[in-house]
Amino acid sequence: MSTPLLTVEDVYAGYQDFDILKGVSLVVHPGEIVCVIGPNGAGKSTVFKAIYGFVSVRLGTVYFDGQEITNARPQDVLSAGISIVPQLRSVFPQMTVMENLEMGMYLEDDQARTRQRIQYIFELFPRLAERRSQTAGTMSGGEQRMLEIGRALMLEPKIVMMDEPSAGLSPLITRMIFENIRRLNNEIGLTVLMIEQNARQGLEASHRGYVLELGRNAYEGEAQALLDNRDVRRAFLGGS
Amino acid sequence: MDQLSQALVSGILLGGFYAVMVLGFSVIWGVMGVINLAHGEFLMIGAYMAWGLFRLFGMDPFASLVLILPLMFLVGYLLQIVLINRIVERPHLMTLLVTFGVSIALANLFKLQFTSDPRNVAVAYNGSVQLAGVTFPIVKTIIFGAAMLIMAGLHLFLQRTRLGKSIRAAAQNKTAARIVGVDINRVYAITAGICIALTAAAGAMLSPTQAIFPFMGPPFTLKAVTITALGGLGRIPGALMGGMVLGVTEIFVSTYVPGIGTNLGVATSFVLLVLILVVRPQGLMGGLRPIDAEAE
Repeated sequence: MSTPLLTVEDVYAGYQDFDILKGVSLVVHPGEIVCVIGPNGAGKSTVFKAIYGFVSVRLGTVYFDGQEITNARPQDVLSAGISIVPQLRSVFPQMTVMENLEMGMYLEDDQARTRQRIQYIFELFPRLAERRSQTAGTMSGGEQRMLEIGRALMLEPKIVMMDEPSAGLSPLITRMIFENIRRLNNEIGLTVLMIEQNARQGLEASHRGYVLELGRNAYEGEAQALLDNRDVRRAFLGGS
Repeated sequence: MDQLSQALVSGILLGGFYAVMVLGFSVIWGVMGVINLAHGEFLMIGAYMAWGLFRLFGMDPFASLVLILPLMFLVGYLLQIVLINRIVERPHLMTLLVTFGVSIALANLFKLQFTSDPRNVAVAYNGSVQLAGVTFPIVKTIIFGAAMLIMAGLHLFLQRTRLGKSIRAAAQNKTAARIVGVDINRVYAITAGICIALTAAAGAMLSPTQAIFPFMGPPFTLKAVTITALGGLGRIPGALMGGMVLGVTEIFVSTYVPGIGTNLGVATSFVLLVLILVVRPQGLMGGLRPIDAEAE
């Protein structure tokens, strides 16, 4: 197997004296879609926050692209090549679609390249091109999610982390979002690490998966194997 | 008819000043959700600076903006880093208490230093010109012009520049601003710097038209609340509209309501505020809610 792009090694992290993650490890290889599932409170979101420098890592290490990025600042993680699509609405509601995409390039003040990247995003998401002058807050939930993903791609990240891409979306729109993630993976080799509450659909869209429980790794493996695993199904997929 | 056009002109001139006076208050509230109760004190400081520069060096209050703006930017920037950034994430009560404390401390420091004797800046051009039967006081007309320039400048800065966009981004969605790499603490400090500088500039421009004393601030803070309720948070066209409504209403009330006088005319602002809050608690343009109520 290729060298991993992202390695989280035995990480303990949380708030002040309280660890939410108690030894979580995971790897993501280039070109993979990896999904992290688990019940509420298992620490899924905290994994992202720890990678992104929103909570501090007390023990353990995070490597990205051959560099250690444990406890790096968010803007440094971003310039290293990790973009994030948070769970809550994160468009700039009173800015247009164009302005939102421009903000995606905030760290690189290069107008020519910004225009070029916006053109590229518009090719990936023709829907956004149609709405380029619309105020983002007035678009539908699915369109806003596409804009968030588009904005996360502006800096040509090596990996995009998505915190519950299906949150707050209808089943139909959720399917469309997952199809788009698969398509980006096929077309441009996009590497994705995502968290999903909607475990079954999340795993179905992924290559590999991790199940977290009480801040620790519980299961890991090929997505299909997890979907077939009797224990995982009973405990986490809400079926037998 | 003459009285009407005079009242309109006076109201609009006053409204222009109110609009620029409120910008700092409204942008700080809109961008970081902090209600700055020390707003009027920064205006007072600006007025004292203009007075000091006028007295010591004979510097014109409008020319002194060249010094006051950068100096007060620095004051706002440092105040944000040292004090406000530490409490900006806390509940509103906390920021209210801290800014209220700053307001009391500043007013009393100035009283200690300068006593409460009223000070005046007597500029040579304190007259007025007649135009089509309407009186234009020269100073107030210059203030109006400067106010329009400042607002246009701030508008362009927020809309067109990278820094301006990062301020709008932080105001609209803090999490999103962070994930695209905006350094929130720095943006807040710059915002505070700009706002405090603008507020002090408003005070400096006001200095030739009224007495300067340590406790002149609070009425301006209260008027800023009214204008923000009228025009909305952090929006420049809203500040302009809110300022105009308050300015014109105040002048009309003191012109047409018999026996009310200029001083009671000021009470208009608070009657107006109470009326707005009774009829539309969210503000006239829905602006009293944070620009982006984050779900976090």
